[in-house]
Amino acid sequence: MNYLLFLPELALAALAFGVLVIDLFLPRERKGYLPWVSLVGLAGVLALSLRYLWGKDTNLYGGLFLVDSFSLFFKAFFLVMGGLVVLSSMEYVKRHLSHPGEYYGILLLSILAMMLMTSSGELLTAYISLELLSFSLYVLVSFARGDPKSNEAGLKYILLGAFASALLLYGISHVYGMLGTTGFTEISAALLLEETPLNPAVLLGLALIVAGLGFKMAAAPFHMWAPDVYEGAPTPVTAYLAVGVKAAVFALVLRLFSQAFMPAIEEWQVILAILAALTMTVGNLVAIAQSNIKRMLAYSSIGQVGYLLMGVAALSPMASDGVMLHLLGYGISNLAAFLGVILYYNVTGKENIADYAGLADRSPFLAMAMSVALFSLAGLPFFAGFTTKFYLFTAAAEGGFLWLVGLAITNSLISLYYYLIVIKQMYMVPASDKSALKVSLIGGGVLGVLVLGIFLVGVYPAPLVDAIQGATGAILP
Amino acid sequence: MLFPEPGTASGVQWAWLAPALSASAFFAVVLLGRFIPRNRAFLSILAIAAGFGVFWYVLKEFLSSGGGEFSVKWFTVGDITVSWGIVVDELSVVMLGLVTFVALAVQVYSLGYMKGEARFGWYFAVHSLFAAAMLTVVLTDNFLLLYMAWELVGVCSYLLIGFWYERRSAAEAAKKAFITTRIGDVGLLIGIIMLFKATGGHFDYSTIVHVAEEGGIASGTLTVAMLLIFLGAMGKSAQFPLHVWLPDAMEGPAPVSALIHAATMVVAGVYLVARLFPLFLLAPTALLVVAIIGLITALLTASMALVMTDLKRVLAYSTISHLGFMMLALGSGGFTAGMFHLLTHAFAKALLFLGAGSIAHGSGKTDIREMGGLWRRMPVTAVAFGIGVLALGGIPPLSGFFSKDEVLVAVLSGRGPVFFVLTLAAALMSAMYMARLLFLVVLGNLKKENEHAHESPWVMKLPLVALAILALTAGFLAPGWTSDYKGFGAFLFHEEPEAYHINGLVMGLSLALAFGGFALGWALYSRGLLSADRIRERFAWLHRLLVNKYYIDALYQWVINRIVLVLGRFIALFDRVVINDTGVNGTGRSVLLSGIRLRYLETGKVYNYALGMVVGVVVVALIWWLGLPNV
Repeated sequence: MNYLLFLPELALAALAFGVLVIDLFLPRERKGYLPWVSLVGLAGVLALSLRYLWGKDTNLYGGLFLVDSFSLFFKAFFLVMGGLVVLSSMEYVKRHLSHPGEYYGILLLSILAMMLMTSSGELLTAYISLELLSFSLYVLVSFARGDPKSNEAGLKYILLGAFASALLLYGISHVYGMLGTTGFTEISAALLLEETPLNPAVLLGLALIVAGLGFKMAAAPFHMWAPDVYEGAPTPVTAYLAVGVKAAVFALVLRLFSQAFMPAIEEWQVILAILAALTMTVGNLVAIAQSNIKRMLAYSSIGQVGYLLMGVAALSPMASDGVMLHLLGYGISNLAAFLGVILYYNVTGKENIADYAGLADRSPFLAMAMSVALFSLAGLPFFAGFTTKFYLFTAAAEGGFLWLVGLAITNSLISLYYYLIVIKQMYMVPASDKSALKVSLIGGGVLGVLVLGIFLVGVYPAPLVDAIQGATGAILP
Repeated sequence: MLFPEPGTASGVQWAWLAPALSASAFFAVVLLGRFIPRNRAFLSILAIAAGFGVFWYVLKEFLSSGGGEFSVKWFTVGDITVSWGIVVDELSVVMLGLVTFVALAVQVYSLGYMKGEARFGWYFAVHSLFAAAMLTVVLTDNFLLLYMAWELVGVCSYLLIGFWYERRSAAEAAKKAFITTRIGDVGLLIGIIMLFKATGGHFDYSTIVHVAEEGGIASGTLTVAMLLIFLGAMGKSAQFPLHVWLPDAMEGPAPVSALIHAATMVVAGVYLVARLFPLFLLAPTALLVVAIIGLITALLTASMALVMTDLKRVLAYSTISHLGFMMLALGSGGFTAGMFHLLTHAFAKALLFLGAGSIAHGSGKTDIREMGGLWRRMPVTAVAFGIGVLALGGIPPLSGFFSKDEVLVAVLSGRGPVFFVLTLAAALMSAMYMARLLFLVVLGNLKKENEHAHESPWVMKLPLVALAILALTAGFLAPGWTSDYKGFGAFLFHEEPEAYHINGLVMGLSLALAFGGFALGWALYSRGLLSADRIRERFAWLHRLLVNKYYIDALYQWVINRIVLVLGRFIALFDRVVINDTGVNGTGRSVLLSGIRLRYLETGKVYNYALGMVVGVVVVALIWWLGLPNV
């Protein structure tokens, strides 16, 4: 067995524990080294992944662990995104949280879990990686120990998360019971032999799996935890939940539905379409009525899950490209928006939409960057969100879901309304406190890079699309 | 690839840098302006100067190793690929040089002219954006990018005409220009979409031309599409009946008129026709329409230029008239003639506008009746202005003589004697109104109230001198002087060499007209041998018709007031009651309400959430079990 193919995961695990150990030996005033260690480590893991996994298409442990361009694409995505989250967390952790060692160590462990998830080739491996991810997140969500909201969020998340895991596990057991395997390709082969209509027990298993995964990605009606948890969690963790975790779950869903459940596409397509319609509508409608910006962004990300789910419902190579592209476009836009919220919170300690009044005068850069991020989330042209949404919607329309695309476009219009409310606050409403806001250099730099990324993806997505098409080729030939 | 492949010698791809630099200057000034100390104009000037440098480099590379098309994929949706691309050939290289040079001259000039102006930095930023957009129009290899840049050019024109937006007339003029050109642009867009559909999803010129030449586009479709595209060109190039915006556009600062409304933007329409010349050749009816519209425009506006009294307005009508000549030449099959006239006219007219600006700057006068003898007070400006006048009037050996001669030859050989005679009439008027300017503005006696007039600063004189030299000498590009250099026509019209023609009859007539026109002007305006007032009284009806611009503007205003606005009010009412109150606000309110109501589902209680999940699972399972709905 070629352990080099597993080296990035091993290295990342070592890094996570390394950070925990280094933390023990660092005096309090030197704790600031930890994020830099994590960053260098993440860069190293990224280099290892690109060096050893590039162009490989094979598996380890008898098919439990897959190495292909699909997983490599997502691993690179998670590592880069993880680095950005570490950079965004630095000042926040220093000011508002204690125990930085545990924070960064657990963050790294959760990235490891996501990497394992995209590589898993059978249900139980996927389940275990998902649990590793969830457990890391339970801790991270309640990391602000002194903040009752954060504690409440953690408790809700762990209770409902355990419930969702139970549903997922129960679903897996049904599938295993009826089809006799948990391997993705074996499930696909077994489904081909099944006669239609499928045995109700298999369908129940599918329904439970959809529910379990729907919880993790926050699809309606399994989304209700999300706003409470997003609002209560420390903001960098919220950003991470909204971008990273969502991407990891969708990576798993894409692989699961294309490699394992594809023969039964007629069965689940409509269910996913209904869930998608429900999710995007609920997310966008309720977002309108929010006054807390984190909560608003939480609902808006539920709306985005609806669009992504629509792509999965219309599963085809082009739709898979669209989902991945939009994950990326939505990811950088959302990260930029959350980073703006973090930077503002770091200085002012406020996170209500009304608190953003007059930001354009106090910090033109921050206001401009947040406007770019919000415009991109709404899907206006020249921003990443437009290009990626356009691709995704086109793919769904080609897949025959014209009604759903119409609904998605209507929802995009609605979303513009509540994004514009924030922009209106920043540009039109005068500030009560007119003093200039000083944004930290690192935070501002990362935000600048993200804004450039939004424009780059918006006007010149061609290289990205090429990479994504290669990745899709590994799961949907 | 836009970047040169290693090993290939040619560097013409780098032409894309020219628009990119100006666009960067715009963004730098607008976004980071507050961090740039003092005067931000130098960034814009630096960018366009670098663009001019790029032109020389591209020209050198082009002459040594030829041009080509270069593009990078922008995005692909289904089977349709859209790219960012440039085409470097004789046509675009000439335009690249023209635009960068005139823009550079005008920006330097503006340093003096706009000095002390509020929004000085914004003025230069928009100039940069304009240069970027115009260079993109010139360089692009596909319709999509063309259309975007085309609209951007229109926006910049709007911003610059209305630069002094505190003045109501300037704001009105900006609006008029934008709306009038937009009417043409609608045609352009429809034409582009027609070609896009007819070729099965292509935007790039070369593929469309290729398909059309293979007979892949039905000739009826092609003719209609080309006519619609020409409508766009008519709007931008101010051709009859869409010419009404250009004279009003003189409300903008003089350098703006020189750059945008004389040398660059207004020739975009001419350039578009030239760029699509292979397609127009396949649609002879459309080409005939181009010629007819050009001729009507040339005649109509030349006559109006004879009676206008505002210096810049005379120049504006003269510009429209000359744009008509260019369209007429193209419509007669005279590709070289049209492009050559574009080039010489651009230098001369930019010179005249800058000169007019300098006169206004030095004397504070804009009405030609109040000028006269200005050479005594502002010699450099007067000499430069005089050169511009003589060049456009067609006096040899200045540049306008050569190009006008070419146009006449093209019209005679392409469209026959009727067109030719009418063109001669327009050329005669052209010489006459130029003579009028020469005698009323530059020569003659200095009026008492102009004693204080003074020469402009050197930043304004320098561009004048540079343009004057070009207006003097650009004509010599035309004939082939040596065996190596075959003349401008051979350079431009590379497929079937079209050299500089000398037709004895035409040249004789053209000379007679030019000198005759100036002589007539001398008799009328300088010597008083013929009394202009007497003629005015004798032909009062004609004078009234001309001064009122053939009542075209009035007609449009009437249509707008009586038909468009009345209809508009009715639609506005319908919009307010049905669309707005019921449709938009109604849906908006119900969306908002449903959002607020749905919010109450979020109780914050864990057992409610878990119940929601259970209900979800059960419903999903039930749907599956009972049968899938058909959606």
